Amino acid sequence: MTNNTNTIINKRGTGLKIAISLVLCLFILVLCIRAGSVQISLNDVFGIIGGHLTGKGTPAGIDPMMDSIFWTIRMPRAIMAFLVGGALSLSGACMQALLQNPLASSYTLGVSSGASLGAGIVLVLEISIPALANFMLPVAGFTFGLLTVTAALLLASAIDRSISNTTVVLIGVILSLFVNGILNLLSTLFSDHAKQLHLWMMGSFSARGWKHVAILLPVLVICFVILMFMSRKMDIMSFGDLQAQAMGVDAKKTKIAAIIVCSLLTGVSVAFTGVIGFVDLAAPHVVRRIFGSSHNIVLPMSFVYGGAFMALCDLISRTLLSPQEIPVGAVTALIGAPFFAYVFFASRRKR
Amino acid sequence: MDIIVKNMTACYGKTEILHNIDLEIKSGEKVFIGGPNGSGKTTLLRVLAGIIPHKGEVLVNGKEISSMKRKEAANIISLMPQTSELYFPYTVYETVLLGTYASSGSVFGGIKATDVQYAVKCMEDCDVMKYKDRHLDELSGGQLQRVLLARTFAQRAPFLFLDEPGNNLDIKYKAELCDRLNVWAQGKTNGIDNSLVCVFHDLEQARRCCNRAVMVKNGEIVFDGDINDGTKPEMLRKIYDFDVASYIASNISL
Repeated sequence: MTNNTNTIINKRGTGLKIAISLVLCLFILVLCIRAGSVQISLNDVFGIIGGHLTGKGTPAGIDPMMDSIFWTIRMPRAIMAFLVGGALSLSGACMQALLQNPLASSYTLGVSSGASLGAGIVLVLEISIPALANFMLPVAGFTFGLLTVTAALLLASAIDRSISNTTVVLIGVILSLFVNGILNLLSTLFSDHAKQLHLWMMGSFSARGWKHVAILLPVLVICFVILMFMSRKMDIMSFGDLQAQAMGVDAKKTKIAAIIVCSLLTGVSVAFTGVIGFVDLAAPHVVRRIFGSSHNIVLPMSFVYGGAFMALCDLISRTLLSPQEIPVGAVTALIGAPFFAYVFFASRRKR
Repeated sequence: MDIIVKNMTACYGKTEILHNIDLEIKSGEKVFIGGPNGSGKTTLLRVLAGIIPHKGEVLVNGKEISSMKRKEAANIISLMPQTSELYFPYTVYETVLLGTYASSGSVFGGIKATDVQYAVKCMEDCDVMKYKDRHLDELSGGQLQRVLLARTFAQRAPFLFLDEPGNNLDIKYKAELCDRLNVWAQGKTNGIDNSLVCVFHDLEQARRCCNRAVMVKNGEIVFDGDINDGTKPEMLRKIYDFDVASYIASNISL
């Protein structure tokens, strides 16, 4: 019997699935860029991208107005939606593995609501620290997100010393409702900002530009690389903390390190766009059903699927009732909740 | 290499499970850990493997196990739990390969060709190679038990701790398990004589696999010595508060 690596791992099917997913994802992105009240032909799309990337400016024969709508509004918005969706679902996938809980996500652990409270406070009090400039919102988001999840973990460890996963998720949910309450209180107290805050709590990609992409992208790349290096530890962690310890993984350290990275991902995303739920729950579950359980595939594919799903939801949010916009958080919940329920319970019933 | 336990106490929450345990296990030994349900056998294995906290000392080669890095400890002791949480349906191959994590030595937890070869050997030894692409939730209890055993072997540690490895196995695989463990115990890992520490409820199996018995009752070691002495009828009656010998005699013997 020959036992070389290639015959052992059944890779061909996975490769094909990844290729199909990437093509689908690209198709959705192009769709998001083209669709809207002003239509742009596919040729012009590539013309404009080429023009900007090569630094030649608007190519001849393309309306500068069109160029501006496309390059400064739609494209960064679609990319932003993709990156935020990817970041949220990547962090969701990690949290589920670390806490062995299908309902774990930055959203249920309180990171999202904490981050939105931080951003909300900055907004209503009109705080600005010159040294931070554009980074004010993401820094506030990350700090508050991390504070909330730290509070959740501290409370959990005070109640139960082994920091069991059910306790963490329960406390996360409680804290996140509490923090949402504070945010509601803020929007009543500062009624001039109520509309802005309300939009924040439901999330929106409106008027997100390249400068936001420029801040989010490097954070995302760093976090992604760190989490990918941890992917095998996450595989082992998903067999339970005790088993992970026995197999050579320090369960507590791994949990804390990954939760910090995930909070960074979520905090920065939420600070730009507001709280958007369900992507981080639904996307990883879909990915696991298609690609299996290994996190070295689950993590990048959660990013791709979450990103594509978010971009699609944003497209719906701005076109369905055009010219009015639906908050994207409402769209993800309306589509994501029933879909998540279906995927989750369909896989449960099988067992 | 040896594991020395001095005045060790272990608790779950506020309940003290093990009281002032002293124990010494040398490499090359085949130790059976027996005792009634709830006597603390599983807890003892977990403390020895360093995966739950304890008071007192547990020294592995002179080093306190709780101060060791998890990877270092996992390269010395491989523990197969009684039950496993199966959270995500990994395939059999993926599961066994994960066992090589601690010994792999590759940077950033990647997978090396030698890890794959070793995992395959363990899968063949435990006769699970034919299900390698099946998901864990599609296996029977006995099949799953053999997969977890293969993963425990794949960890390549000289001390093998097994918590009821015979669970769910049919007669054929139970016999094969004993043979496999006996063969394994003859060998060496990383230059150290292999050692077995097993919890069994099946005394026949225990006698086939081990030569020393450590009997635990109410969190204390009540017998430590030759397995033939430890499993004598009067000893068993004392430990289990039950006439084991006449129960066995009244059944069809295997």
